Amino acid sequence: MSDAITADQPSVPGGPSPAQRLLGALKSPGILAGLVVCFAVIPLGFVIVNSAGLSTSQWAGLWSNRLPELLGNTLSLALLVALFSFLFGVSSAWLVVRRKFFGRRLASWLMVLPLTIPTYVFAHIYTVMLEDDGWLAQAWVGIFGNAVAVPDIYNVAGATFVLSLAGFSYIFLLVRIALQTGSVGMEEAGRIHGFSARVVFWRINLPLLRPAIAAGLAVVVLHVLSDFGAVSMLRFQTFTLSIYLQMSGRFDYQGAAGLSLVLVLLSLSFLILERFFRRKQRYYDLGMPSRPAEARPASPLEQILIWCWIGIIATLGFILPMAWIITWSWDAWQMGQIDVEFWGYVINSVGVAISVAVITVVLALPIAFYHVRRPSLLSETSLQLSSVGFVLPGPVIALGILVFALAVFPSWYGGFTVLIMALVIRFLPLAVQAEDAALQLVTPSVEQAGRIFGAGPLENLRRVVLPMIRGGLAGAWVLVFIDAMKELPATLILRPTGFDTLPVRIWIEASEEMLELAAPSALMLVLATLPALWIMLRSSQPRHQ
Amino acid sequence: MLRRFCLMATLLAVTLTSFAAEELVVFSGRKDKFLKPVTEAFTRQTGIKVIIHSAKSAALLNKLIAEKDRTDADVFISNDAGSLQIGADRGLFKAINASIAGQVPANYRARDNTWIGLSARARVLVVNTTVRDIGFVNSVFDLADPRLKGRLGITDSTNGSFIAGVTVYVQAVGEAKVQEWLKGIKANAEGKVFAKHSKIVKAVAMNKRAIGLVNHYYIYRYLDKYPDAPIRILLPDQGKKGMGIAWNVAGVAVSKYTNKQKQVDKFLTFLVSEAGQKMFAEVNREYPVREGVHAAAEVPALNSYRVADVPMPDLGKYRIQTIDLLDRVGMP
Repeated sequence: MSDAITADQPSVPGGPSPAQRLLGALKSPGILAGLVVCFAVIPLGFVIVNSAGLSTSQWAGLWSNRLPELLGNTLSLALLVALFSFLFGVSSAWLVVRRKFFGRRLASWLMVLPLTIPTYVFAHIYTVMLEDDGWLAQAWVGIFGNAVAVPDIYNVAGATFVLSLAGFSYIFLLVRIALQTGSVGMEEAGRIHGFSARVVFWRINLPLLRPAIAAGLAVVVLHVLSDFGAVSMLRFQTFTLSIYLQMSGRFDYQGAAGLSLVLVLLSLSFLILERFFRRKQRYYDLGMPSRPAEARPASPLEQILIWCWIGIIATLGFILPMAWIITWSWDAWQMGQIDVEFWGYVINSVGVAISVAVITVVLALPIAFYHVRRPSLLSETSLQLSSVGFVLPGPVIALGILVFALAVFPSWYGGFTVLIMALVIRFLPLAVQAEDAALQLVTPSVEQAGRIFGAGPLENLRRVVLPMIRGGLAGAWVLVFIDAMKELPATLILRPTGFDTLPVRIWIEASEEMLELAAPSALMLVLATLPALWIMLRSSQPRHQ
Repeated sequence: MLRRFCLMATLLAVTLTSFAAEELVVFSGRKDKFLKPVTEAFTRQTGIKVIIHSAKSAALLNKLIAEKDRTDADVFISNDAGSLQIGADRGLFKAINASIAGQVPANYRARDNTWIGLSARARVLVVNTTVRDIGFVNSVFDLADPRLKGRLGITDSTNGSFIAGVTVYVQAVGEAKVQEWLKGIKANAEGKVFAKHSKIVKAVAMNKRAIGLVNHYYIYRYLDKYPDAPIRILLPDQGKKGMGIAWNVAGVAVSKYTNKQKQVDKFLTFLVSEAGQKMFAEVNREYPVREGVHAAAEVPALNSYRVADVPMPDLGKYRIQTIDLLDRVGMP
């Protein structure tokens, strides 16, 4: 836990040089941001160099054979997942913040807990539960009889189902924070002017929530575009899966790089589009002491409806998979299959995830700061380029880093350096998005006030800005931590020899069809992530109560 | 925190290197559960520790290709002759000492001994014993018969065993015939292919499918759990004109850059020894490649059926061609 607290406050004074040198350089966030971006685009360089070897006819071959189908599949999946995540995330966040009902805290927890389950575990569990002798299939036959076929999840609907449940929590979290800290004053002004609750929601709340929703959707869509676990388990041909097959089946790096390049362009244009649509939207908290949003007590009927809705999401997104995991873990425990080595995997996972999260949160700061405070084409470009790590498939990033590390600093190779580097690059965009969203809400006038009172830029940052975005920093840390805990494809390739993490073990056991062995690792993954979620939920709780 | 972590990492690295002399690093694409008992027995016998680094064979090959001389790997173990041959073609391996390699029959190793097979698996059919009207099937090519529409279980076409099997068929009967056959089984599968062999066996046992194309040991693994399941093995393509059953071997290669030749040789000697062979194959009910060592009692005896006459290195040599073919047909 102490690690988490340190991460909360990267600005603690007294810690000597490195932190302060960093802050010193922050005077020119552009330079620092540029350095971070150079680091983040290493895998992109690998992709460009490799795809440069593709001849025109090879490009044409890629284009005619695969791209139309891949584009169709990938885009429709991204769109559908975005839609359902929006639906689940915004509705549940609204209910949790604005309605007082029985078990509200529990509901908050249930809406973020799905984050602890990796997509490949989700997909794995649901495929097993929908098999003829699986829980869901049996329940289905019990309810509908044999007349209605058990749904098939090896298709776009199945992939949407899994990825929406695995991703909507991001939107829930960001929207929830925005609803809590957003200005209640504006809503009240709206109500005073006689607008109905619905009009207030559409005309005031939703526009105010737009940065949070957009950031959440971006995170969700980026997860979809880079997802490997669910699509490979469900064999839904997206770019990521196809790139992976190109590398693993044919050892064709050029083809894989060509497809990756298309994927990167696709993702960047999505991000730029998203930025474009909220370019002119800038809302500041006007520095007035913000009151926490008042929650209206829900009537008994409302309570039932709320719990029906949240209950359905929670059951599918967490309770059911968790019941399955616990059942199988219990079997494994009974059979005495949990030994000392198992605890080693837990420590490995947590150690890597903590280091990656700390480094990433720090590195993301200059980019977010540069982008928010010096809006320009250059800062915009830095922000977009820094997200490259998230849109490239894990195996491509891993190979890119591997090749780069061996070429540029071969003496560092081995050990954890390359693994940490790859994961930092991979999850940097998560931290950038979260910190960027948090910084957006800090009105420049607060900083200006600080300056008037004689605080230098450093002191201002330390005493004014960072404390104000504490929640955002903690959120960024937790987001990265959770994803780093779950990361599989890059870790598989780059982990030091013989170093296994929980996801690696899950993967090994699940591919051996030893389900009862995969379950304990999945359970530990969930448990080890809980403290991080707790930090995040707590840090976004209104303080003065 | 970070500094503490770096310190730990350095310490760990230092410990790792200081013990390196007594340790052997095995990059393994074979299931951990099957490899571990073997390496543990080896360690007990010789005192040499073995670190197993598991991943998919292809991922490990990619890593070996990128790492070149910086690799930690001393030995590479894969479940697929194709992967071993591809690694050999890329110049990742060094020839294995002839006195060791010679203990493995010539058709189960690379011509230049850059890898040797250790255990073999057969591509067979699993049938539901309660289904009456599939008596006409006695070749894998009969699986394309329209009478099996919606009743055939196959894996998806990215499955390594599936690709290896198709490669053997192409070498045995030619690409044109196999292409037609693929179209037929694609139609019979009706777009519903299985992610894992074990799921095919289960579907056949539950009569959701009448027949399936699998590796032989999956059948026995299922029968182990459910001895009364209505399934049996069907050995295809026997008889005079039959091409025989497609085989694939799991095997081992030595990294070109290893500096632990002595320990590596000890390990390989153990793997091809009678005891090692028995252990390596038996945990997965495969066929030991060493002559005179028998497979598990329940699997069909080695000399009771014909094996397709395709050299194992061809599985690597023609692998890309097979993938191209599968892509052309649009196999799911």
